[in-house]
Formats: sequence, structure tokens, C-alpha cells
Amino acid sequence: MRSFYDRNTNRELPQEVIWQGRTYKINQVAYHWPVRRGRKLLHIFSVVTDNNTSFKLVYDTETLYWILEEVIDEFAN
Amino acid sequence: MNLPINRNAPSIMHIDLNSCFATAEQQAYPPLRGRPLVIAAYTTPGGCVVAPSIEAKKWGIKTGMTVRDAKLLYKDVIVRDPDPQLIRDVHLKFHKVLADYSPEVFPKSIDELVIDFEGTHVFKRGLVEIAREIKQKIRQEVGEWISCNIGIATNRFLAKLAAGLHKPDGLDTISHKNLREVYAGRTLTDLNGINTRYQARLNTYGVFTPLDFLEASLDILKKQVFASINGYYWYLRLRGWEIDAIDFNRKSFGQSYALKEQTDDPRQLIRLLMKLCEKMGRRLRGNNYRAYGIHLALVYTDMTYWHMGRTLQIPLYTTSDLYKKAVWILNQQPVWKKVRDLSVSCFHLEETQPEQLDLFESEMAKNKKVTTAVDEINNKYGEFVITPALMMDMDKEIIDRIAFGQVKELEDLYARR
Repeated sequence: MRSFYDRNTNRELPQEVIWQGRTYKINQVAYHWPVRRGRKLLHIFSVVTDNNTSFKLVYDTETLYWILEEVIDEFAN
Repeated sequence: MNLPINRNAPSIMHIDLNSCFATAEQQAYPPLRGRPLVIAAYTTPGGCVVAPSIEAKKWGIKTGMTVRDAKLLYKDVIVRDPDPQLIRDVHLKFHKVLADYSPEVFPKSIDELVIDFEGTHVFKRGLVEIAREIKQKIRQEVGEWISCNIGIATNRFLAKLAAGLHKPDGLDTISHKNLREVYAGRTLTDLNGINTRYQARLNTYGVFTPLDFLEASLDILKKQVFASINGYYWYLRLRGWEIDAIDFNRKSFGQSYALKEQTDDPRQLIRLLMKLCEKMGRRLRGNNYRAYGIHLALVYTDMTYWHMGRTLQIPLYTTSDLYKKAVWILNQQPVWKKVRDLSVSCFHLEETQPEQLDLFESEMAKNKKVTTAVDEINNKYGEFVITPALMMDMDKEIIDRIAFGQVKELEDLYARR
């Protein structure tokens, strides 16, 4: 996972996902929503890559880990 | 009494997100856009469709169908679980857009909001222009795939009717000028609040269309058709006078569950009941209430049902209190049959603050302290970190869901924001 932190806006945004040996460049954050699990704050990003694949990425603000939760592509059913 | 049709300028706007659960998924995951998609309570063939996308509706797929039936209509329909956290976030963003226009924004359900523009500085601009701007803002601030229906009228009832005239992405106004014309094109059951039973009752008194309903005298509605004050409310509502702007206080907390595996096994049922009571108890205590009544309802697989409520002398506060009384009621059912829906609720609420302190610490006070400590741990580390032993291995049972039409839950959501 490669992300970019903008100190002016104090925001961290995902840039690239490396998954199964392949690098996916993120074109757009389609939706972002924060979720609280107890005191822990998670940021969920649903992003679209250059080959129209969606990744659901969870950013844990406590451990600073990214978790890939779901992959959705045009063959989804 | 002969009351004319309300001729005031319409100031109520009803906004309804189109196929909310499905379009929110399509917003979040662009490969799903433009494709028939359903959100189902369970993705298994017997699962109930909660929301079809606009594309799925074109294939005849409707809310309430089973996944099996949806697949018969369109075999490649995409079936997904609801994502309550995503939907709640969409609702909060939707609410935020509208709150910029008026302080009087009222949630009607997770995907419907009503705004009252009376007395606001933007009212003079004209509601149609504002509605177009709201549609644009929802696309910019919630998501470009999210569309909505907007209805404008002099009361909430007509505004909702207007919002349903042209779906999806509609914008309609009902005023004294076109009221009769709108009624002429509708049936009685198109009116929000008129179901087939009311329709049958209206038919008995010679009311067959919304226009007949409008023409019916107050005496007929109040003394014969509805035989109650409801007749008077309908008389006002149909003429565009506001009667539904009432803020109800909270009367109860409840949880219900449609069983994935229907059973009559008491050991299974009491485990489910424990989890329902824990969820209900967390909400009861989180809102600083205790309850003096509990109610249990069971729907069996043969579609018969049984329910019982009990009022108590001693307040219920801890999960254990609620659970013991719920099991006590469960054991009173006359016949043990396979259960398909299980619901529990507590009522006769009383605020816990301020509280009279005990001179000598009672057993009840000790239990309350333990419960408060457990609640605080769950608040800090996440839901169900500490649970009663009966709830072990129940992570996948009774998962988080959006309750339909639960306005009070939405108010809690705004408070937590």
C-alpha cells in the first residue's frame, strides 16, 4: 500500500495498492467514511483503480496499518 | 365544518434518496454502477431483498422478494449484504447538506428527510430553485451516483406524495392549483397511510378514488369511515393542512431478529434472546433510561404469532434483568413451535438521572455498577468485547442492521456525530 500525507490539509490518501504482485494505481476515492470501533477510529476508503477495479481499504489510525477488505471488479456477482 | 384547500405557498420539502442502499453501494464501488444489484438481508436464496437498484427495478425486482425470485427475473443480478456503516454515513452527509438551508430538518427514515422552509431567508428564492440546488449539492457532497426525488407541498403528506410522482430523480410540487389533478391520477393505496384495509373501509362508504376522499364530508370521515379523530386528521391532510408535524417522545426500546435457522430449541432461542437483550440494554442505558415493562413477540414458521407484555414493579436496567424477564415470558408461550421472527422490547421508560442514592448499598446498586463498568469497557474497546457467557461464538448472529423508519435511532446518530 502506498499512501500520501498532505500536511497542509492533514489528510492521508491512498495512492497505490500492490496486490498479488501487481501494482494498481488509484484514480479516485469513490467514497470515504469514518467508523468507530470503541475508541479506535478507522477510515474506510472505497477506491477505483486504473483498470476499473474497486478496493475497500481500511486504515487503522491506531496501528497505522492498511487492510484490504474487499476487491470488486466487473465480474462481481 | 367546510375547510377549503390550503392556498398558502408550499413550504415543506420531502427528499427521498433513490434506492438508497443500492445506490450507496454503487457510489462506493463504481464497477457495480449501471448493473442490476440487490441488497438482501441474507445473500442465500431465501434471503429477503431489502433494496433493488434502479437497474434491478427495471427487471421487475422489488423490495420484499426473495433472492431466489430476484434471480429468476434476472439471473446475473448482483446480491450484496447491507453495509450499515456506509448507509449511516450517507445519511449523515445527506442531512448535513439539508441542514445548511433550514434549522427545521426532520428525519423520516434512513433515506428520507423533510425540511420546513417557513420563516427561513432562502424561502423567498423559491423552493423549486432550491430543490434543484439540493440535487446538485447531494451529487457533489454525498456522491455523484446519488440521486433523489423531491416533493414540495404545504404539508408533509402531500410533499411525500409529490416526491413519488416521477421516480427516479423527480421534482414535483403539489399546491392548490394542481391538487385535484394529482389526485385524479392516483388510487387510494397510492396515498401514504392508506393500506388495503382502509381502502376496503373507504369503499364501503362510497369512496373509491382520492378525489372521492377529498370530497367526503368531515362528518362522514370522522363519524363513519374512521369513527375517530383520524377522520378529522385525514380531512385536514388531504386539503394540504399540516397535521403530521408531531415530535413523539421515545416510548420504548426494542430489537428484533429474523432467524437464519428457524428453530424451536429453547437453548438456541434463549441465546438469541440474550443477544437481543444485550443490544437493547446497551441502548436503554446509553440513553439514560430504565424500563418498567417488557414485551416479547414470536412469529412462527406457520405464520401464526404469539406475544405477551408485562408491567413490573421493579425497574429493569441491566442486561441480566431484561434477559431474565424475557425468558420468563418466553416460557409462558402455550405451544413451542419453530420460530422465524423474535422481537423483544422494553417500555414504561423512566429517566435514570437524577437518581436517589441508597443509604445502604443494595444488590441492585452493585449490579448496576458492574453493568456500567462493562458498558464503559465496550464503549472504549468496541461492541461485544465483554459479553455474557451465553453470547459466546455469536459474532455472526444478529449483526448490525439499519432499522426501517426508526427516527429515534437517527436522532441518536446525530448526537454521536
